[in-house]
Amino acid sequence: MFKLILKLAWNNAFLRLSRTLLVIIMIAVSMSMLLAIQGLFDGMAYNMSDKMLRSDSGEISIYHKDYRLNKIIANHVTDAKTIKAKLEQDSEVQAVVTRFSVDGLSATARKSSFANIIGINLEDEEKFGQFSDFLKKGTLDFKKRGALIGGELAKTLKVKVGSKLVFSTQDKNGDINSIALRIRGILRTANVKLDTSAIFIDAVRLDKFLGIDKNIATQIAIRTQSSTLQDKLKKDYPNLSVKNFLEINPMMQMMEDSMVIFNSMIFVIVMFVVFIGILGVMYVSILDRIREFGIMRGIGMKYSHIRLQIILEALFVGLMGYLVGALFGFSGLYYLENVGLDLSAYADAMESFGYETILYAEIKLSYFTNTFYAIFTASLLSVFLPLRKIKKMHPIDVIKADT
Amino acid sequence: MFNLALKNILFYKGRSITTLILTFISALMFIVYVSMMDGSHESMLKNALKVYTGSIEIYKKDYRDIGGNEYLITDVQKIEKELDKIEGIDTYTARYETYGLLSSSTQSSASLVAGVEPLKEPSMSQLKVALVEGEFLSPTSGNCLYAGVDLVKKLEAKLGDEISFVGAASDNSFAADLFKLCGTFRTGSFSFDASSAFIARAYFDELMMSHNKASYINIKVHDLNDVDTINTQISAKIDDSIESLTWKTLMKTMVDAMEVDSIFGYITISIFYVVIFFVIMIFGFINVSSRIREFGTLRCIGLSRQKIRTLLFYEIFILSSIAIMIATPIGAYIAYYYSVHPIVIDGMSEMYKDYGIISDEIPFSFNLFTITWNISVVYLLNILSILYPMAFINSFKPVEAAHHV
Amino acid sequence: MKRILLTLSLLSALAFGDEASDIMKRIDDNQRGQNVYMQMSMTITSMGHSRTMKMQSWAKGTKKSFVKTIYPPKDRGITFLSLDNQMWQYIPKIERTIKIPPSMMLQNWMGSDFTNDDVVKQSSIVDDYDAKILKREGKVVTIELIPKEDAAVVWGKIVSQIDTDTYTSQKDIFYDEDGEEVRYFIYDKVKKFGKYYSPTVWKILPSDKKGNSTEIILEEVKYDQEISEQYFRKSALKRFSR
Repeated sequence: MFKLILKLAWNNAFLRLSRTLLVIIMIAVSMSMLLAIQGLFDGMAYNMSDKMLRSDSGEISIYHKDYRLNKIIANHVTDAKTIKAKLEQDSEVQAVVTRFSVDGLSATARKSSFANIIGINLEDEEKFGQFSDFLKKGTLDFKKRGALIGGELAKTLKVKVGSKLVFSTQDKNGDINSIALRIRGILRTANVKLDTSAIFIDAVRLDKFLGIDKNIATQIAIRTQSSTLQDKLKKDYPNLSVKNFLEINPMMQMMEDSMVIFNSMIFVIVMFVVFIGILGVMYVSILDRIREFGIMRGIGMKYSHIRLQIILEALFVGLMGYLVGALFGFSGLYYLENVGLDLSAYADAMESFGYETILYAEIKLSYFTNTFYAIFTASLLSVFLPLRKIKKMHPIDVIKADT
Repeated sequence: MFNLALKNILFYKGRSITTLILTFISALMFIVYVSMMDGSHESMLKNALKVYTGSIEIYKKDYRDIGGNEYLITDVQKIEKELDKIEGIDTYTARYETYGLLSSSTQSSASLVAGVEPLKEPSMSQLKVALVEGEFLSPTSGNCLYAGVDLVKKLEAKLGDEISFVGAASDNSFAADLFKLCGTFRTGSFSFDASSAFIARAYFDELMMSHNKASYINIKVHDLNDVDTINTQISAKIDDSIESLTWKTLMKTMVDAMEVDSIFGYITISIFYVVIFFVIMIFGFINVSSRIREFGTLRCIGLSRQKIRTLLFYEIFILSSIAIMIATPIGAYIAYYYSVHPIVIDGMSEMYKDYGIISDEIPFSFNLFTITWNISVVYLLNILSILYPMAFINSFKPVEAAHHV
Repeated sequence: MKRILLTLSLLSALAFGDEASDIMKRIDDNQRGQNVYMQMSMTITSMGHSRTMKMQSWAKGTKKSFVKTIYPPKDRGITFLSLDNQMWQYIPKIERTIKIPPSMMLQNWMGSDFTNDDVVKQSSIVDDYDAKILKREGKVVTIELIPKEDAAVVWGKIVSQIDTDTYTSQKDIFYDEDGEEVRYFIYDKVKKFGKYYSPTVWKILPSDKKGNSTEIILEEVKYDQEISEQYFRKSALKRFSR
């Protein structure tokens, strides 16, 4: 019996071919656009927070209590390397880096600009956040007094890979000191602050330049998946400031939240309209065949069987639409994930706001599952109204009915 | 034909209502969404313009690239005389900016120090409104310094403290003086608040020997939309060594960023349109296909294909018109209401201040031209949606259609 | 000020030889620990106007110098102290001593075409540059000075024309990294002071600001005189201001 119903449903679904096709196209087009846009927005948000995480704060960062308010050499963590070594023993910690950072003036023969020099260890940074990923031009090393410089700063100073730069600042005694740097690479971290002012150099070299103890640092950044680590560290280091990613970048939380709200709003509205579309088609399609159903009931078919047949019919249409939509949506997303959306025409604006000039989409399984549920539900709901109409009708009236 | 269309609309209620509602929603949403988007962009711009940048600024060429006293405007009065003759300019003010070292008794900081006209500045910029402590400058405030809160924090100074200034006068000679901290301001832009200070021109000009000189002249126009016309007029009246630039050039990054944002906005809203377009089309199509016999009969009694098309066109046109006629005033009212009473999100400016957002308000934009093109798009889409049903119905032969079951 | 003067005098005494750098080293050694007192006038031309300042300078070695402005009256008594890389300034008008922070180092020094950095920078012709002879024309030898990799100097190179009769430079051209001229130093009127030759007229011409120039005329030069250590203390700024 079920097989028969299934077959009936299948055949009926395609009885009015152009009508069904319209619905399928509607679902497919709206779904693929929806997926593409969600993927793109998620991709942008993810890209940004991921890069900020990797280039700077990690999941947790430890600073001197006053450092974030007053970024001077004196506000450093004294036994940073010891803390780092200890943290590395912790099974919850995936990676740790220490950085020392100080403000100063960078200059070429023609231009000068405020800059923030950061002493790092490239190997540690690579483990910490795939630092090499940020490199846009040049090579990733500190050979020959090498330095890596933020993209916007490079623009301000009008320097390129291979250019020489002189950085001046006050060392730990307050004496002005200068250091010659050769630019080895230009970075884009999506972190506006780093891109506009950072110069990365080898930590050992910076320590020597500033005359500071190599055990100290201004920041200890930690990568971890543990949600309890922060509290533990707060207890372990009560005199230091232990901050998590969102405390350091409150912007990102707000951005993620608004992205989620925005995406869900689009999703709900689009799916609602899709629902109306399916509803219309199912309604008319059932009214068209109301005599048919009357006969079926007349010859003894149970109402529940007719209901099943109609539900299956709606599901067929919905699922066909979903499949086509998923296919198109996936290819669209795949394209956006690999080739991306090129907005180089607005490069200046995009870069100054920390975005890539080419936007890449994210593909999440949840896009497909969520739309599946939504379309499934929409299809089911769409037969609710027509079914009531059939149920109310007496078989004889139905047969007599003249449509 | 028109009456027939009306009758049909009343007869096929399901289709009519769905089309009406969907068109209504799409028109309303379009108007409100675009109004909100444009509004927030405009307010970002306006706020940015309000802070310090003018809608038009006049520079000596190369001042913006190279800077320094060599590229000052040296005859301000002559240019101002020309500006007086141009319609549409609200006010203008000549600023003299220089970089110097400001020091309190304990701390020093390199900073922008600008001589401004205390009476004109309040109508040109947000400086006076941004007051946090003390008072704004006045023409007689003498050596009073009005400094950003973050700069004051860096200097560890408080109101009434002496702040020394060391820099170069407009002829590049050495200049130094003691200022008195009379007021502090916060615009919300950290870089601005951490490195700018202002002083009344009358006093500063004496020290800097900058009478009749200016780094640039800042112009406020009456209506931002006229900025290009006014700019052309100004450019025609100043000589070649001087350039007049509008905010579009002065704030190119911001303008670009907004364009990108608009692109995303339109992409997003286009999804709704695609979906709604399909649904309206499906309903139109269903409607038409249930009327095959009717159309067949009409054809048999002598209606041409063209007439059928006209009939269908009238139907969708009437439906769209009704929906849009209801939606437009509502949408326009919403846009207007929120343009006058902006939505306020507390703490937004705090959160986004690095991005140049300095106000918690999201005002809408109320622009009749925008609303007109928005509803035109909705009209167009609706009319496009009937094309397929038209083609479908006309593909039947009259007799065949008349007997269609 | 002392730094430039010393750099210049180093250049001016630059000897000619097959091994340019060797000779420069000898001259540099010879100059170290030198006590110099000078009185000079500095004429700054910019934007079609000229102004003249007069100052006195006391210097000891390459790291200590003290400069006092004596003319015009408006600027009289402004003093500068440079120790190592640090620079302090005392301004009688506001009775303040100010330490020049790194961010101001590239600002003009007293409105001249020197920067503060020029005045205090301890760049040494020997330590910071590699010298190469480009060409010889009679007594004039053109030497190219290329900064060593680790030298904290912004120039791409400096090209000097040296008069081998007096071992003084006639012209230095400063280039940026792309090989474009940034500024010229031109020297004239070489005189002998004791055992040293030195040009007494120096002119600086920045390439990108046409019409601007700074001309220094040495009015009085005394080498190898005892200079009190008191000049090189922070207290000197105010004390010797009058």
